[in-house]
Amino acid sequence: MNTVAFERGSRKQLRIHVLPTKRFKTFAISLYAGVPLREDTVTPVALTPFVLRRGTESYPETTQFREQLEHLYGAGFGFDVYKRGDYQIVQFRMDTINDSFVGGGEQQLLDRSFAFLGEVLTKPARENGHFKTPYVQAERETVRKKLESIVNDKMRYAAERCIEEMCKHEPYRLHPLGERKALPAIEPPELTATYENWLKEASMDLYVVGDTTLEEVEELVERHFNLERKTSSDYQAQKSVRGDEEPNTVIERLNIGQGKLNLGLRTSITYADDKYASALMYNGILGGYPHSKLFVNVREKESLAYYASSRYDGHKGIATVQSGIEIPNYEKAVTIIKQQLEEMKLGHITDLEMSQTKAMIRNLLKEMQDAAFEMIAYDFNRQLSGKERTSEELLAQIEQITKQDVREAAEQFRLDTIYFLRDEKEE
Amino acid sequence: MESIRYEHLQETLYYEVMANGLHVYVLPKPGFQKTYATFATKYGSVDNHFQVEGQAEVKVPDGIAHFLEHKMFEEPTGDIFATFASHGASANAFTSFDQTVYLFSATENMNENIQTLVDFVQNPYFTDQNVNKEKGIIEQEINMYADNPDWRVYFGLIEAMYQKHPVHIDIAGTVQSINTITKETLYTCYNTFYHPSNMLLFVVGGVDPEQVISMVRSNQEQKNFEPQGPIHRFFEPEPEQVGEARREVKLSVSLPKCLFGFKETDVGLTGEPLLRRDTTTQLMMDLLFGSSTRLFQKLYDEDLISDSFGHDYISSPQYAFSAVGGDTKDPDQLLERIRQEVEAIMQKGFDASDFERARKKKIGGYLRMLNSPENIANEFTRQHFRGGDFFNMISLYETITLQDVNQRLKEHIRWDQLAVSLVVSP
Repeated sequence: MNTVAFERGSRKQLRIHVLPTKRFKTFAISLYAGVPLREDTVTPVALTPFVLRRGTESYPETTQFREQLEHLYGAGFGFDVYKRGDYQIVQFRMDTINDSFVGGGEQQLLDRSFAFLGEVLTKPARENGHFKTPYVQAERETVRKKLESIVNDKMRYAAERCIEEMCKHEPYRLHPLGERKALPAIEPPELTATYENWLKEASMDLYVVGDTTLEEVEELVERHFNLERKTSSDYQAQKSVRGDEEPNTVIERLNIGQGKLNLGLRTSITYADDKYASALMYNGILGGYPHSKLFVNVREKESLAYYASSRYDGHKGIATVQSGIEIPNYEKAVTIIKQQLEEMKLGHITDLEMSQTKAMIRNLLKEMQDAAFEMIAYDFNRQLSGKERTSEELLAQIEQITKQDVREAAEQFRLDTIYFLRDEKEE
Repeated sequence: MESIRYEHLQETLYYEVMANGLHVYVLPKPGFQKTYATFATKYGSVDNHFQVEGQAEVKVPDGIAHFLEHKMFEEPTGDIFATFASHGASANAFTSFDQTVYLFSATENMNENIQTLVDFVQNPYFTDQNVNKEKGIIEQEINMYADNPDWRVYFGLIEAMYQKHPVHIDIAGTVQSINTITKETLYTCYNTFYHPSNMLLFVVGGVDPEQVISMVRSNQEQKNFEPQGPIHRFFEPEPEQVGEARREVKLSVSLPKCLFGFKETDVGLTGEPLLRRDTTTQLMMDLLFGSSTRLFQKLYDEDLISDSFGHDYISSPQYAFSAVGGDTKDPDQLLERIRQEVEAIMQKGFDASDFERARKKKIGGYLRMLNSPENIANEFTRQHFRGGDFFNMISLYETITLQDVNQRLKEHIRWDQLAVSLVVSP
């Protein structure tokens, strides 16, 4: 696959990963900061990047901050807060034009981007030593609105509610943006304290893909990141949760037209597991693609749905099935989906399903090499799980998987929760 | 085979027009694993009343272009997704107002995959049974969108603005309209719009252009397409004014959704002038409503808008309108404040320094887009069908002046052309 490996270093207890390449017109920069998901910190940690993007020491006003990004040829800048296993990850991204496309290297766009990112992360705008009160107040509102708006998108709402029900006794039930009820009490002094602590203790990884070198990036971090970190914290690999023996059914009613059916499955196979490739094959044959059992049986054979698919999350050890159906078809759809799960356990898998799924996973792994942020995301799995497995190694493992392996993996997937979002009409 | 070198982008585009009229373009991306290919027809949801020169005039049911897109994936040998999967390709398709695009991305078996793409789109297979079966699937797709407030507020705006032009008809049609679709109407549309002279193949990625083009050439030479006259599309005259100034839909939402926009009165542009107006308008909108503007920040501080506040400009040779908005606790207050602020800006025009910054941002955004094979193929095709050149965008940006943008501000922002679409909880 002619992949070039990431070069690795570290500065200020921040792990640095650089992939020098001339294939892209930009520098892709990604910074991950992860902490364990905990009820008492999830909300302030989620609020932190929202306040950080309001202003820095040099650009204290938000309009100045955003204008600076436009001076950098509209450098892409964004952040995201999400869960990976029982960790809450804050990710900052920048995508900066390589100077050679906009009139030569004298603009130093990589250097200026690092100066910017370093300020965002380590030199926020302050008043009396704390985050500015208006920024904290406004961003509390922003996070509250984001949490409340989840229900607007019924596909996403159903997916998140299914996970919340399934993991109700674990930290994973928590939303990565935190809890609405915790927001009003978060004042600038304590949020600033949470931030300073997070900056010291979070597990941090910085990635750069583009026409640069490890040495250059290390020097940029040294110069622009005002960090004082004493210890480097690693992610701890997690064990999957067994869950109840009998599947739990949850039916929720809202004012909607189309029913959303989501199933949650538990599995003992996680990212670090040697059987990970088998689990990927299991998901692919079950519902990862348009040739998969769910698409073919729920959509093409029965015309019950427009979408019917499955997803596997190796960091948490769960899989989900999702479909949008006519409400009276609930029983029929559940029966057909359960049949597909059973077919997997019985090993009723054709040679064609095996070869097609392998080809699709092979394509996915190879295509990743053309997208800088996808290469970064794949490599970050290694930090999270402690398991070193290059995409070439994973590909080689996929090629070796037999039907018997998939059948054995199927035994490690157990239906845990059936969640149905339906209308408010009485039956 | 011809080629065009775009030195400033470090890209070379290869192309050839086949004997049957098909346009083939190849953009090699050395070092890329992936190849992305689109096979597109200049045929979308608005093309519901047409005539091929020398043939009868035809009117077809709403949603048929999208229905046809679904049905193309079925072949006598089964589902074409399976064939693509066997060759490691991930396939898909989409239908918009004015085009239908079939696509795949893959890292191996390039010849097989390109041939599969071309062959399945050039081999319709509609039966009464497979047409009926699809109705249940598309009904669920329509129901899915009906529950989606973002789609409803967007479409509500178009419905408010346009009274006659079919852009106001939902791309998927309605449950009623799709139930009137038959295999005969599908074949009529297919034979008209899937003629090679109305189509464009674009291949981008780690491929050899000479090899791709000669393979497509021999593929096309083995097929027999009768020459077809020009396609005439009929549109009822659209009044200049908006149909309704305000339109409201009830759907449970956490906050009201408010989208507003201005209906362009001067339509009929194509090619470079259309692209220039699009680009100038987008720059103008960015200077008015972008997230780095004082207007944005004021309204955010007043808690009238959130990160969801955005803007867009949608155009074709026959229609053009802006769409601005997002979630808000108070749509009326938001609209009033927007009007105050925008009128103040219209008095004095934009600052030169703001203009330069916004232009830099647009150029950067365009270059970033060139990292993505998907964006290149999709945007190139869209522009080509309207007579524009996607690879010439930078020189276009460089020739737009502050004066052009200020002029556009005065032309486009006309309060008598304003329409507002709302989604509010029942």
